[in-house]
Amino acid sequence: MELLILNGLVNGLIVGGIYALVGVSLTLLYGVLRVVNFAHGEFVIAGSFFAFVLFSSLGVAPLYAVPLAGVAFFAAGWGLYYVLIPRLARSDDPELMSFLMFYGVSIAAAALMLLLFDADSRTIDYSFTPVSVQIGPVYVSTARLVALAITVVISIALALFLYRTLPGKALRAAIMNPEAIQIMGVDIVRLSAFAFALATGLAGITGVLVALVFPAFNAFSGTEYTIIAFIVVVLGGLGNPVGALLAGVLFGLTEQMATVFLPQAMAQIVGFVILVGTIFLRPSGILGVRFRK
Amino acid sequence: MSIAIETRGLTKRFGGLVAVDGVDLRAAAGETLGIIGVNGAGKTTLMNCICGLYRPDDGDVFIAGERVTGQPPHVVAHRGIGRTFQVPRVFRKMSLIDNLLVPVLDRKASDAELIGRAEAMLERMQLIELRHNHAEELSGGQQKLLEMARMLMPDPSIVMLDEPFAGVHPVLCKFMIERIEETARAGKAVLLISHDLTSIYRLSTRVIALNQGRIIAEGGVDDIRGNPAVIEAYLGT
Repeated sequence: MELLILNGLVNGLIVGGIYALVGVSLTLLYGVLRVVNFAHGEFVIAGSFFAFVLFSSLGVAPLYAVPLAGVAFFAAGWGLYYVLIPRLARSDDPELMSFLMFYGVSIAAAALMLLLFDADSRTIDYSFTPVSVQIGPVYVSTARLVALAITVVISIALALFLYRTLPGKALRAAIMNPEAIQIMGVDIVRLSAFAFALATGLAGITGVLVALVFPAFNAFSGTEYTIIAFIVVVLGGLGNPVGALLAGVLFGLTEQMATVFLPQAMAQIVGFVILVGTIFLRPSGILGVRFRK
Repeated sequence: MSIAIETRGLTKRFGGLVAVDGVDLRAAAGETLGIIGVNGAGKTTLMNCICGLYRPDDGDVFIAGERVTGQPPHVVAHRGIGRTFQVPRVFRKMSLIDNLLVPVLDRKASDAELIGRAEAMLERMQLIELRHNHAEELSGGQQKLLEMARMLMPDPSIVMLDEPFAGVHPVLCKFMIERIEETARAGKAVLLISHDLTSIYRLSTRVIALNQGRIIAEGGVDDIRGNPAVIEAYLGT
């Protein structure tokens, strides 16, 4: 039993790290743009396919795919922002419209991935040497440890960016009060484009890690990550990046520990219990901020 | 003295309601223009139109003779306008220093230089001891001072203050009045909205009175004080 618990803790940390990245990118988007990106999971899975194509066609190892995905998805996100968001801003209720529009984007993105890669589940057939590492009594695959290390580095870099650099402080200020920041001379459109690109870049990187950590993915896996992202964002507090990082790890740990103590079917509903419980008991999340319209 | 800010026929409608109705105003550098009116007279909407948060339906805004009508708020801010809000919009989860750094993010200066300026500004507002505290820890009056400090950081040529004395302790009010006087003496044009007529009359060089979006009286403090239209608008007699 002790070994199972230890395994659950280690896996919870690893999976939680990935959930944290999924959540933090979605919460950045919502915080700055008030956009509900229902296609976020598809962006993540697109990152997995990106790593798959790089590896299977060009032989690029997943480790190198991480920065490449970051740059490629950042650029794609920047372009996508100018295609989608300015039109959205002209609607009467941009927040609701964003939900509907990105629901459409998620269907389109899944269909596109289906068209390109069929419905079969894909795996990146790549292993590190050694394949696994013993930590005390627990054996952990090296790929999972590498993924954990990458999530830790990215989380620290993101926190430093948000709290120590001037552009990061501007992003946080925009989350707290998008109207006030504009009258201080900050171009909210450019800042929003940056936030969208950053979130999309993070989604791409997360997708590479998903391909490393989980056994398989397919064109329809995105929905699962969108739901996880929403749980993490609600748990961490809407628009709170640090809250999302903590909530992701907390959710990963809870989910993995649930598989130790509960039957498989029960363990799967833990996420939804957390989501509903948070909304009822602490609607602003563990580190939530209140928004002013 | 040169005209710092001017509006000509500025009009803003919300559906059938004309919130600002053909307002002409001008303020010179170093002048304090008081704007008074009952609730719903259109004072804040007028400010929102000037600073670019609202796009006016008609009329124009000029800063130092240059037309800025319909420009986005950040462009108008770069032309030299700073403003505060009736309910302070400080960045609650950020330190006082960080609050002051946001408006100068794009300035070509080192971080150390910007932080030095921010500290000097906090010193001037007597908030220096709290510089590392989060803004949400400040009282309402202190938040108003912080917002004023943040507005002054990029050294705007025109400052617009929306109800700076509302809900503020009299001692703090006196301190704020002194800071506003200092600001005008430094050559900035000040547009001051307030319900506190005593402060308006003390600070303003000229006053305009708005009612239902229109200017009903304009002139020196003495002209406004005894103006029947203003008395009627305020007292409904």
